[in-house]
Amino acid sequence: MKARHDIRNAVRRHRLIRDMTQNELAELLGVTRQTVLSIEKGKYTPSIALALRLAEVFDVSVETLFQLKKENDNE
Amino acid sequence: MNRETPNERWRPTATTWLAGSLVVGGAALAVLSTGWFLLLSALGTFGPGVLRETGWLRDKDELQLRAAHRAGYHAYLVCGIAAFVSLAYFQSGVPDVGDSQNLALLFAVLLWCTWFLSALLSYWGPRKTAARILTAFGTFWIALMIINSIQLEWSGAAALLVQSLPAVPLFLLAWTSPRWPRTTGILLLVLSAFTLMLLAEPSEKNTGLVEQVIRVLLFFGPLLACGVSLLSVRGGDDYDDDGLAGDQR
Repeated sequence: MKARHDIRNAVRRHRLIRDMTQNELAELLGVTRQTVLSIEKGKYTPSIALALRLAEVFDVSVETLFQLKKENDNE
Repeated sequence: MNRETPNERWRPTATTWLAGSLVVGGAALAVLSTGWFLLLSALGTFGPGVLRETGWLRDKDELQLRAAHRAGYHAYLVCGIAAFVSLAYFQSGVPDVGDSQNLALLFAVLLWCTWFLSALLSYWGPRKTAARILTAFGTFWIALMIINSIQLEWSGAAALLVQSLPAVPLFLLAWTSPRWPRTTGILLLVLSAFTLMLLAEPSEKNTGLVEQVIRVLLFFGPLLACGVSLLSVRGGDDYDDDGLAGDQR
């Protein structure tokens, strides 16, 4: 089972609300822009540490950013 | 600790420059002097990875490291299978290829190609990887034609232009791969089959077999890998792999 189909995230939405570019977010997180892009597209599930850093940057809970997809959710 | 800062456009780091210099320099010195200089190439190829695994070098983020680890596993699987196929071949009494040096080179090429392609596909995704590999192939072809023209008798700009024409479909496919990935994937599979037919020459006595396999791997392998991976791209993605149009928002 591929992880990218199991978790949905709201990283892009929160980034846009704060009017941030992917580069700016990447710099705050200490990762590359490609990593931010991959997370937003659901192609990469970040580690717990990175997820916590994301939550800290956006000042929200991790559960607000990442949710498990239910079986009957449309992609 | 040595950490890169993210860049808007990728630029080689000091590690990349040093490692690349060792690889190229080692290979050049091996040709000009003794084969032992290939150990410098090995140092450039594997040194940064060893330093990262031991914690001495921290220049990659978690996605880059994950892509590298996954690529290493893929290279282990591919080379392991190839090793057993080779063993079975040599144990079965077929005529010896008599080419132990190139056999070692074959495994090095197989290992590196598998690792490199897998790492790129994991990190960049199929569309961006295919676009960049095809652009690199096209650029390499043109550079080769220019070098050939300089070394041999200069036959004019028109002749050089004609000789460079095979690069055109490569650049074209590089342009179409982000926009129509599945169609490009099919075309790449056709192109890789054509490349395989072109490069693979039947030989009765298995002479030069290993060299042929290396040539096939280097040209056919990346095209096939890109073609297959593009076929798996799902339709309906909202935006490109990485904003090839420059989108950072």
